[in-house]
Amino acid sequence: METTAPKIRGISPDETLEVCARQIIVSYFHQMMSYKEGAKKGSDIEFVHQMRVTSRRLRAAMDNFAACFPEKPFKKHYKKVKSITRTLGSVRDLDVLIARFEKELDPLPESEQADTRKLIERLHQKRKNARKPMLTLFAKLEETSFERKFLTFFQGL
Amino acid sequence: MAKTHKITGVKPLRSYRENARIILPQKVEEVYTWEPFIRDAARREELHNMRISIKRLRYTMELFRLAYGSPKMRSREVAGTDDKRFTEFLGVIVDLQGILGDIHDCDVVLEVLTDYGTQSEQETIAPGIAKLITQTKETRNADYKTFLEKWEHLSAIGFKQKLLSFFGAACKPKTCY
Repeated sequence: METTAPKIRGISPDETLEVCARQIIVSYFHQMMSYKEGAKKGSDIEFVHQMRVTSRRLRAAMDNFAACFPEKPFKKHYKKVKSITRTLGSVRDLDVLIARFEKELDPLPESEQADTRKLIERLHQKRKNARKPMLTLFAKLEETSFERKFLTFFQGL
Repeated sequence: MAKTHKITGVKPLRSYRENARIILPQKVEEVYTWEPFIRDAARREELHNMRISIKRLRYTMELFRLAYGSPKMRSREVAGTDDKRFTEFLGVIVDLQGILGDIHDCDVVLEVLTDYGTQSEQETIAPGIAKLITQTKETRNADYKTFLEKWEHLSAIGFKQKLLSFFGAACKPKTCY
């Protein structure tokens, strides 16, 4: 399931792109980070999914608006967002596979279910491993005040 | 995954509306760079890359939605028509993204099943896994056929040109008010 785009408020189409770009990027960033705690917890797979999709939307905005910002610091922030997408992607891909194979189980005869169950078990183990780099990245982002720095840069403070 | 094409000609000090006209056509062109490959069902990588480019186009359309049919800036009638057309175009893009996503999911599942099947100690692939492989191949074939039919229909009705002219003309403030 794909999320719908976050509502961007207070934008006038005749305002300069530079001003709008800051508002949009900050708005998307807040939405992405709002899923972080849920993704860390890991009990509901939707948080990882939503955070990943929003990080992709944020990257699309950053790709389009790159010309509005000084190149070097912009690239630094862009790379961090990219690493968020990547690490969430590893977990999400496994969530999708597990959900799909669990759905495929029902119509299979009991004798054939065992093979698929073994595969699902293996994927669960892989998912557990894939969560580790994600949690390490989140911890690192917190240690380095990524959120504050990102917002300071894009809010132009 | 293919890198996003670098957007050129962006004017940060000109309006959001004006930049929509600069950026969106470039995103459309990025999608169409994959068109020469998609009539071959085996071109997994290119079909995947087209999906990613379509997703980028979708997100960029959502970013610039306010440039098309903002009631504050234009007559209510024109704004409403543009907004409706924008929604229709976006719907087509979301639909294409969905079907290409289904094809990609099948490709990933097939890879996982095949790897798992060949890693096991037995000489032949376990029956449950073999059955899933067969089913997934069938689903993939059907999804690909659906995608190609949709794509050919869009080509026949000149979808690309319609999209480009909408992006280029719909938000010229002085001619549309």
